[in-house]
Amino acid sequence: GGFFSSIFSSLFGTREMRILILGLDGAGKTTILYRLQVGEVVTTIPTIGFNVETVTYKNLKFQVWDLGGQTSIRPYWRCYYSNTDAVIYVVDSCDRDRIGISKSELVAMLEEEELRKAILVVFANKQDMEQAMTSSEMANSLGLPALKDRKWQIFKTSATKGTGLDEAMEWLVETLKSRQ
Amino acid sequence: MFAKLKKKIAEETAVAQRPGGATRIPRSVSKESVASMGADSGDDFASDGSSSREDLSSQLLRRNEQIRKLEARLSDYAEQVRNLQKIKEKLEIALEKHQDSSMRKFQEQNETFQANRAKMAEGLALALARKDQEWSEKMDQLEKEKNILTAQLQEMKNQSMNLFQRRDEMDELEGFQQQELSKIKHMLLKKEESLGKMEQELEARTRELSRTQEELMNSNQMSSDLSQKLEELQRHYSTLEEQRDHVIASKTGAESKITALEQKEQELQALIQQLSIDLQKVTAETQEKEDVITHLQEKVASLEKRLEQNLSGEEHLQELLKEKTLAEQNLEDTRQQLLAARSSQAKAINTLETRVRELEQTLQASEEQLQQSKGIVAAQETQIQELAAANQESSHVQQQALALEQQFLERTQALEAQIVALERTRAADQTTAEQGMRQLEQENAALKECRNEYERSLQNHQFELKKLKEEWSQREIVSVAMAQALEEVRKQREEFQQQAANLTAIIDEKEQNLREKTEVLLQKEQEILQLERGHNSALLQIHQLQAELEALRTLKAEEAAVVAEQEDLLRLRGPLQAEALSVNESHVTSRAMQDPVFQLPTAGRTPNGEVGAMDLTQLQKEKQDLEQQLLEKNKTIKQMQQRMLELRKTLQKELKIRPDNELFEVREKPGPEMANMAPSVTNNTDLTDAREINFEYLKHVVLKFMSCRESEAFHLIKAVSVLLNFSQEEENMLKETLEYKMSWFGSKPAPKGSIRPSISNPRIPWS
Repeated sequence: GGFFSSIFSSLFGTREMRILILGLDGAGKTTILYRLQVGEVVTTIPTIGFNVETVTYKNLKFQVWDLGGQTSIRPYWRCYYSNTDAVIYVVDSCDRDRIGISKSELVAMLEEEELRKAILVVFANKQDMEQAMTSSEMANSLGLPALKDRKWQIFKTSATKGTGLDEAMEWLVETLKSRQ
Repeated sequence: MFAKLKKKIAEETAVAQRPGGATRIPRSVSKESVASMGADSGDDFASDGSSSREDLSSQLLRRNEQIRKLEARLSDYAEQVRNLQKIKEKLEIALEKHQDSSMRKFQEQNETFQANRAKMAEGLALALARKDQEWSEKMDQLEKEKNILTAQLQEMKNQSMNLFQRRDEMDELEGFQQQELSKIKHMLLKKEESLGKMEQELEARTRELSRTQEELMNSNQMSSDLSQKLEELQRHYSTLEEQRDHVIASKTGAESKITALEQKEQELQALIQQLSIDLQKVTAETQEKEDVITHLQEKVASLEKRLEQNLSGEEHLQELLKEKTLAEQNLEDTRQQLLAARSSQAKAINTLETRVRELEQTLQASEEQLQQSKGIVAAQETQIQELAAANQESSHVQQQALALEQQFLERTQALEAQIVALERTRAADQTTAEQGMRQLEQENAALKECRNEYERSLQNHQFELKKLKEEWSQREIVSVAMAQALEEVRKQREEFQQQAANLTAIIDEKEQNLREKTEVLLQKEQEILQLERGHNSALLQIHQLQAELEALRTLKAEEAAVVAEQEDLLRLRGPLQAEALSVNESHVTSRAMQDPVFQLPTAGRTPNGEVGAMDLTQLQKEKQDLEQQLLEKNKTIKQMQQRMLELRKTLQKELKIRPDNELFEVREKPGPEMANMAPSVTNNTDLTDAREINFEYLKHVVLKFMSCRESEAFHLIKAVSVLLNFSQEEENMLKETLEYKMSWFGSKPAPKGSIRPSISNPRIPWS
């Protein structure tokens, strides 16, 4: 199966890139997923479980998994880590109180062997809000500069306004292409 | 009751790491505690009147003591905090200074580096521009030469193409020539064959001719034999002719005799005829006389009758009697004459008869002679006839021989004519062949000339090619020289690059210096951070202590509700705090043992009694600080409580699904989870225990697993197996079946006997 599928994928060239969207609950993961897929803002309810959609960006196909971020189901993230090309980590820029939790979750996630080669894109989401933290502030509070052997980048985004998503995806596509 | 509570507190603190521990709080109490934590004040008391008052009073006393102790500890802590803050301030000042100095140094270095770099860049750019110009000139020259060379090459190629074409043409011509030659050879062969045939025919003819000549010779011999025979026959003939002449002479003699005899016979016959005529005359005269007699007798008879009848007529009768007497006298005279003629005749006849007899006798003799000679003549004539026949035969034979000769001659002539004709045709053929040969040779010569010309032109071309090659080699030499020049330039460039590399190395070194500096800075910052962390942890501990204190307060409030009349509220708070502090002290000491940062303040810790010596204002400030910190901590506590509320909501949602008897276990959850929240990284151990909450999650995952695409389902296998606690084998089986479904070929994995839905060993029941 693995052999044949590898042949298959080599035959048809473009393998679907597997991307996980992770982050604490209420960070805006589902909104970002559907913004990326259909380009619209959809009303979402807290995700109990996950959403998976195929997103095409610049001729690259992505299988994007939006995993629910509630505390009780965060432990199950690790079930989805295998064969992941990139992780989009969404952080609520206004949630100063829980950024520590967000950091610890991020650090725990990045320690996983299965995600050793995954590219990390951090979305500093909800930048349209007034009390939003700056990206450097967030990078520091998430401990991103201390990361080694990891391709990462932080982007200021607003899922509801749709800002910052394109350049983030652009960077992701370029990085994935260059890595191949 | 109190003892129970104490036990519980002790257990909770001891087994804080173990979530879902076996401790059970009565439903109402836990509810109350949660509610009280959510609310601001701890003044809510639950009524429980099952314990005795004496116990309570003694316990209260103990509590008071504990509270006092705790207060002393608190003051200790306050001092520690103050020391820590001082150290922190000092460190911050030092850090700022260091930062300023390093920043200044950094800026200076940066400026110098920038200046150096600019200078270097300019110098390099100038050198590069010059080199570039030179290079471009050289490149232009080279390109021009290259263009010329390519043009020449093109010409050469064209020429060589022409040459090849000509060569091809030559080859074609040679092919044609060879074809023609072969044709001619073929024709010659044919001609030779025909010639051979002709010669054979000729030989046959000559053979025939010789044969015919032989025949001719034979026939000539025969003819000579025949001519000999003829001569013989002629001789014989001449003799025979002589004999014949003899015979003819004798014959003429005999014939003359015969003629004489015949004359005589004719005379005789004339005599006989005269005689016969005389006889006839005589007879005719007799007859006439008899007629006249008869006539006279009649007349006498007629006259007598008349005399008798007519006696008148006597004168006429006398005259008739006178005439009768005269006719009787004439009759008598004629009778006499007759008698006389008769007598003379009889005499002549007699003589004649004698003479005839004689003649007949001679005639008979001559006739005999004649018959004899006639026999001889007949014999001779037969001989002559034979001879003539022989002669005729010989002439015939001669004629035949002549005819044969003539035929042979004709044939020989015809053959000779044929031979001549054949020779003529042969000669003509030979001439034509020779002509053809000559033509071919001429063609050959022409072609050879052509070939020679082509070869000459080829040689010329080759010569040209050589020349061009020489030129090419010269050019190559030139280009090699150029390449050498290029290499030199490249070397120069490399040198420049090396210089640049050196410069960059210098820059790198500088940068390294900078980095080192920044590292030092970072280290300093880290130190600061560590210090801050120590500070934070201390604050946190204080906060925890306060939280516990508050919990104790609530407990105390509960107790106070029971013993409302006996004890004062304010008095109660003291001992409770003291108790909480005493509990926390162990924590602090253990922390202090662990943390090296903490050891400094612990070493320099002042005894509790010395607090009084401190300045009151300072103390008040510290108190204010502490109060602020407390407020902050309260905020965090509120956030925690919010989070707890969220958790409770989710719990309640799940509780709606759960049967009632599981409520307690689920309810207990928030406590230990709260305790675990600080390092809230979710461990693997959580997965097995927290599964009760995630029925909805399981439902969602299974639903998606069954409904989504295979490629997506493949990634869900792990989640499903974790949620449903599949064994490794079961997970692998699931993977294999999915892979089989996904692949276009391949065989369905055989279901192994060992892997069955694990009903036989239910590991951990669902709740």
